[in-house]
Amino acid sequence: MAKEISRRTFIRGTAAAGVVLAAGASGCFSGKEGNKNVPGEVKRGNVTYDVLIIGSGGAGMRAALAASEVKGLKVAVMTKLVPTRSASTMAQGGMNGVTGLTDPKDSVESHFRDTVKGGDWLGDQDAIEYFAERAGKNIFEMDYMGYPYNRQEDGHFHSRKMGGSSHPRAAYFEDRAGHAMVHTLFEQCLAQNVEFISECQMLEISMSGEEDKKLNGVIAMDMRTGDIIGVPAKTVLIATGGYGRVYWVRTSNPYSSTGDGIVAGMNIGVPFKDPEMVQFHPTGLAANGVLLSESSRAEGALLKNKDGERFMVKYAPEKKELATRDIVARAIATEIEQGRGVGEGIHAGVYLDFTVIPPERIRERLGQVADLSRRFAGVDITKEPVLISPTCHYSMGGLEMADFKTGATRVPGIYTAGECSCVSVHGANRLGANSLSEVLVFGHTAGDGAAAYAQEHEYAGSQDALQADCEKWSKNFDEVTSRGKNEGRTVPEIRDSLINTMWFKAGVFRTEQQLREAEQELIALRQEYGHCYVGDSSHVYNTAYEQYVELGNLIQIAQAIVQGAIARKESRGGHSRRDFPQRDDQNFLKHTLIFKEKDGSYRAEYKDVVITSYPPTERKY
Amino acid sequence: MDVKLTIHRFVEGKEWTQDYNVTVTTGMTVLEALTQIKEKQDPTLSFTCSCRSSICGACAVRVNGNAELACEMLVEKLVERYQTNELTIQPLGNFKVLRDLIVDWDPKYAELKKIKPALQPKADTSMETGCLQSPAEFNKYKKLAGCILCGSCISECNKNTLNQGDFLPPFAFVKGQKFTADSRDADPKGRLKAIVDAGLWRCFNCQECTAKCPKGLDPAAAIEHLKEATFRYGLADNVGAKHAKAIYDDISESGMLDEAKLNIKSEGFFAAGLRAPMAIRLMKVGKMDPFESHPVNPEIKTIQKLVKAAEAASKDEQGTGTVASGEPLIKGKQVGEVLA
Repeated sequence: MAKEISRRTFIRGTAAAGVVLAAGASGCFSGKEGNKNVPGEVKRGNVTYDVLIIGSGGAGMRAALAASEVKGLKVAVMTKLVPTRSASTMAQGGMNGVTGLTDPKDSVESHFRDTVKGGDWLGDQDAIEYFAERAGKNIFEMDYMGYPYNRQEDGHFHSRKMGGSSHPRAAYFEDRAGHAMVHTLFEQCLAQNVEFISECQMLEISMSGEEDKKLNGVIAMDMRTGDIIGVPAKTVLIATGGYGRVYWVRTSNPYSSTGDGIVAGMNIGVPFKDPEMVQFHPTGLAANGVLLSESSRAEGALLKNKDGERFMVKYAPEKKELATRDIVARAIATEIEQGRGVGEGIHAGVYLDFTVIPPERIRERLGQVADLSRRFAGVDITKEPVLISPTCHYSMGGLEMADFKTGATRVPGIYTAGECSCVSVHGANRLGANSLSEVLVFGHTAGDGAAAYAQEHEYAGSQDALQADCEKWSKNFDEVTSRGKNEGRTVPEIRDSLINTMWFKAGVFRTEQQLREAEQELIALRQEYGHCYVGDSSHVYNTAYEQYVELGNLIQIAQAIVQGAIARKESRGGHSRRDFPQRDDQNFLKHTLIFKEKDGSYRAEYKDVVITSYPPTERKY
Repeated sequence: MDVKLTIHRFVEGKEWTQDYNVTVTTGMTVLEALTQIKEKQDPTLSFTCSCRSSICGACAVRVNGNAELACEMLVEKLVERYQTNELTIQPLGNFKVLRDLIVDWDPKYAELKKIKPALQPKADTSMETGCLQSPAEFNKYKKLAGCILCGSCISECNKNTLNQGDFLPPFAFVKGQKFTADSRDADPKGRLKAIVDAGLWRCFNCQECTAKCPKGLDPAAAIEHLKEATFRYGLADNVGAKHAKAIYDDISESGMLDEAKLNIKSEGFFAAGLRAPMAIRLMKVGKMDPFESHPVNPEIKTIQKLVKAAEAASKDEQGTGTVASGEPLIKGKQVGEVLA
């Protein structure tokens, strides 16, 4: 399957089983002009974009605004959904940035230090310093753009203090900081006439020429017509978000967080940096992974196992439920693993008991938590405890950003920003409210960087190669969607196997043996994927095929996570090895870089963490 | 409990309805039911969704004729509301359908562009320093910043159903009022003019948008506040505003509508003259007498007091934002109950 997705393997004639290679079949464009979403000129390949951004979340739209400031550049945002449906909208807490408006004692240095420590010293300190210096500026800019900040009496926006921060420095809108950010950016994009190519699923980034160094453009499926389109571009900026859906129901991420951009980047030679670094939030609903806010524990809810024992007393005798996210998540996972959880399999959990909190206070301060529990678990938390279990919350790993001052990857013309990228600012663990500011800072930077590259370079790609890739995908579509029911398991069935493997063998806790098992299971799943059943052959808005493509990406992401986790024989931040419970700075103060080889296999390299100001010490709160 | 979902299908020009049976489990939302059908019964059923926590706006559909966010509406709640185990699911109304439950948003974004949909910063603010705003000023528009662009408000909008060409989706008015009420904006008048030109006064006042908004934003009230603002900004030189003013004058002066003059006051002599045939028909059946002196309501004193009280309340309202009463009269989720 990986081979189907890699254009280079295709060109070298080692196409995967199942992909028919017969040349000269019907063209990739159906010729329908009914969809104004993709202009006819684009369909005919007559428009070359200077900057083509993939993904319409915070990073993508911020980048689009930055790139659009350069007059005369042709910029567009391509998204598999429509704008404003992204994971960014779900962020609740705020965006960190030192402005000194709420707390004059706050400093860039403090933000820098907190972020290094929060990331368990895996973050690159030169990049973190750059980030901390700019985060405040981007918050002011958002005010100018119309972000609806909550205000303090002096008229400036108010900042709240988030976990792991030494000062209040997260500006916000109510409990919907991300939603407000996305809509403010979208408003600006509408006003600036930023072009959106909505409902187009990126299939691959097309490169050819000597050593595949020339960028042709992006191959995508226009969902509305089913056309496979080749969009020529001088630069591609990947801003497709995280990969939390590798754990499917055990994630707080949206359905769209399937790591599409990371896999597309890997296929053209961008390494996947620190894939094993995944953040687990302790309190997701056992039923479906939806997040119950951190405020649950802050307000005094107790964690209990099936025997009614308040187990946090054992794991963190002092702080108990108020210990940090990773400690609580590991405690819950241990209880479940050792048979003291409630329920079976992926939906097993422990009790989160709110009944010790007066009902009026629950209504007043935990309205959202009460509502989610009632709706999804059928539980009235004022009367009985609700079942929770850890849920994957954030992907620290991502495409290696080779130059944090431009957002460039190591492949010329390819840029990246947001959760799909790894700068690395978050290191092994992200602090609350640092994700939205990362999106702003590096979305902005990468937009500028891509625009500068586009101004200095001519389009050097090959339209013929772009066409050839379109045809390859057209044939893939025809072959995959015409498979019979008895040829293989369905896409959701394989996905469920994938998440069981990932959750139980490469989840909150990892051991050599489990990871090795996961490695084998993933190889088998990848083979099975090669003949899975999709069950819909329509060309118009074929979400079944889209989910097939996404599953292919998820399996490849999972393989990288497992490979990175096997090699990292230590515990650091989001990565917990039972067999290596200590952090090992001697051997692992370095980044994992997973490269995808031409035969589809993965190769790991390591790169030292950049330490400038803060040598590693114990991470204690 | 089993439910039968009758789903409107539309694939490549073919239209039909298809029945699916689903066993309802605890916490099963409409979205989960749809997902289960797609995964276990029919992979061809198509819909969009993303966050499943009612913030991204991707999954709104129509159930039994009313827009709902699929990810937050429980199937059991609908069964209870409509007192039936058979539910009908359709794509949102007043959208072009792309496939099954998926609708085309692009024309709606084009509509949004008509209202200058971004903050116009004031001259004394900058990218470097941001803007200043008091908490009270923030409170005036904060609720409206909660719009998730799910499209529920336009689904049953009667004005949009009649003609989308000369009107906006209700969420565009919500956005418009958000900026109009935002003290940071430099050009509320310019935007308001654009909103008037885009059809502000053509709203039918049917309140469907307010009833359907899953976030309780009350788009109908936003429209009313925009109308009020047109008077403050001297943009009342149009039929809609003049009509409103004529009614206001009649009621404050006599407590009764003067039907004979209402039309002239609203449309002017010339345009009203074109309605002469209708006037003659009305006169013929005794519905209108141009020579009769306009009566005065015996309760005029009370009526005038009421007008004064309403004006005072409206002034207060401008202090607290668009939604003076806090909650719409009929909340979205209760409409079904009201109808049933």
